[in-house]
Amino acid sequence: MNPVTSVALVGAVLSVSVYLVAVIDTAVGLRVAHRRRYAGVWMAPVAAAARLALQRRSLTERPDREAWALAAPLLAGLAAVALTAIPFAAGVGIADTRAGIVLFGAAMMQVMVAVFLHGWGSNSVFPLFGAFRMAAAGLSMGIPFSLVLITTALPAESLSVGMIIASQEDLWNVLRQPIGLPVYLITALAFSFWGPMNLPDGGDLAGGTAVEASGMPLLVWRIARIAILVALAAMGAAAFLGGYLGPWLPGWLWMVLKTLCLATVMIWSGHRFARIRIESVVVFGWTLLLPIALVDVFVSGALTL
Amino acid sequence: MGIREILGRLARAAPIPVFPVAGADAIEAVRDLRLRPEIELVATPRHASILLVAGDFGVNPIPGLALVHDQMPLPRVTVHWNDKSLGDVHGHVVGGDEADLVEALSALDREILTAPDGSEPPILPDVDLVDWRGVGPYGHGGKGMTGGTPFGRPLAERAPDRDGLELDQLPITIGPWVGALPPGLQVAVKFQGDVIQEIEVVSAFGPTRPDDVFAAALHTPTPVAILELERARRHLRWLADALRFHGLPALGLWALRLAHDLSPQDQTEVEDLLRSVRRSWVIKMVLSRIDGGFDDRSMRAGLGPLTRAAGLEDDARMDDPAYQALDFQPILGRLGDPAGWWRQRMAEIIQSLDISSRAGDMTAFGVGSVEGPRGRLQADNPGTSTPLELLPGLLTGLEWGDAAAVVWSLDIDPFASMAADLPVGVES
Repeated sequence: MNPVTSVALVGAVLSVSVYLVAVIDTAVGLRVAHRRRYAGVWMAPVAAAARLALQRRSLTERPDREAWALAAPLLAGLAAVALTAIPFAAGVGIADTRAGIVLFGAAMMQVMVAVFLHGWGSNSVFPLFGAFRMAAAGLSMGIPFSLVLITTALPAESLSVGMIIASQEDLWNVLRQPIGLPVYLITALAFSFWGPMNLPDGGDLAGGTAVEASGMPLLVWRIARIAILVALAAMGAAAFLGGYLGPWLPGWLWMVLKTLCLATVMIWSGHRFARIRIESVVVFGWTLLLPIALVDVFVSGALTL
Repeated sequence: MGIREILGRLARAAPIPVFPVAGADAIEAVRDLRLRPEIELVATPRHASILLVAGDFGVNPIPGLALVHDQMPLPRVTVHWNDKSLGDVHGHVVGGDEADLVEALSALDREILTAPDGSEPPILPDVDLVDWRGVGPYGHGGKGMTGGTPFGRPLAERAPDRDGLELDQLPITIGPWVGALPPGLQVAVKFQGDVIQEIEVVSAFGPTRPDDVFAAALHTPTPVAILELERARRHLRWLADALRFHGLPALGLWALRLAHDLSPQDQTEVEDLLRSVRRSWVIKMVLSRIDGGFDDRSMRAGLGPLTRAAGLEDDARMDDPAYQALDFQPILGRLGDPAGWWRQRMAEIIQSLDISSRAGDMTAFGVGSVEGPRGRLQADNPGTSTPLELLPGLLTGLEWGDAAAVVWSLDIDPFASMAADLPVGVES
């Protein structure tokens, strides 16, 4: 695809999906709070963004300016890179390379770097705590995340996301590898630091890595966080729910619906489940999710053979 | 129409980000602002446009207020709402009730969105506390590559940790105005990593007492129904704050709305809320896994739900003839740990609603002592008992997130005076 068209397409897809996910987050929050006034949900993300755009950025004492300034654009960029690996419809992909799933995984691993820079850059205690928490959570969840994702490549005998989707023509991976999607969603929450896995930006750190940010940098950070969630939900839809495959509706619409469905599950979990302790996340990742993910690999490998 | 004007019009549809600094008698009124869709109370001044100062602080100037003010990004404005000690931060003075406040905040917000030049300048000078005083060969602070107080900011210094190793130890003062802790609580902590090696409560405020129905009941016969409804309401307000801390603001908002309009007929909805809380993992997956050896240290008479959670039969209501006529029996827990404290208060919310619905016009006499939501109030000491003095023992050795969770689980009133106010009780 033409590079200009590619950038425009990824930008458009991310903009629309970030907006929709922000709307869903607002609506789910109102539903859980038993405040059923949904009239303002469509405008809420736009209004909140406008407010932050008008606020000036704050400066801390002797920050690492370059690291702090780089973190939020880097996170947004990683979401965009990750999204390029996923075909939106049959034959419509930005960079559906032969190793697309590796590209996606590599981008997600760099999320740890972006979050760490965000926590480090402001030269403040709570953000730094958040930075190290992300490193601990990311390292603990990274291997199970990668294993269940790479396992979806076994039936396709390819690392291309397009081929993985095509291999689900007869049976979606969520049924073929039933352990995979739950493990993927749990670990995806850690990489999007959302809901029960929001350890870097948690309330016990008064906002964590984002506690010192305001104005436009805070706006970009919040958008980038949602963009990462969107990218993870889109890959979940492609790798486990058959991506754009489905009857009656156009392929791209199936992809959008499946992505929003997984994003809603992740958002809903954020409103219903408390933030887990960092120690529990580490123990959970290494002692439970890792063995489960290995079982997923061995069983799926044996079935493929 | 310029881009700024367009953004300003759009921004007006978003809730106004307000950072609250609330004194003892204003905490509940400020907390109730969360129910107003026009207002968003934020956890850090960096995310706020308006600094709201409300209530009585017992000291003047208010500790830390100027620092909080200067941390807010431009454009910013300060509002004093029924503030009895205006302190060193000037701003707009607003009286009246919540509706008057929201109206004033909206007007000021419109003003700073459209004319940001009217914003408030910093109060403190933008200079280092002291000059650089590094002593090492590379201009660093103390021994080795660590330590010292460059620019007046203490750096980490190597010190033995609890396992006998030598690690960097960083002294930090947290609070009194930070969303991670209850308002007014200030602690001086020495961290190794994010583990607390030493912690001390900094007493920054004079003792101030909100006038509440429980303090009044020490001297005036009060209907049992009113006392119990208020007890359930106070526990729900605590629950609202604690849920927000644990990353469940929507459930917290539900709890706050119930507390605001509570009546004995709401028992079914309250049970629905508590069921959602139990299913949220907060008790089983978070609080139960905090390993602090709590049972022994928290068993102390006079601390209300905290004492009863540990299994001690300690409740002033048992001595009141009105409660005896209602067959009142205190609920007793099995373990005085954070999970036990949550379970205890949640059970007592339902118990209080039940008593409130059965009490009719029965009146409690409160001779000598009254059981408040945070423990026993005595006629010679109407202050609410507070477990502030327990904090160093409970929090030392915990990771910061666990320590803050314990603090919220205790339901602390930082404005109540410390050890001197506590009734003499039983140490287990």
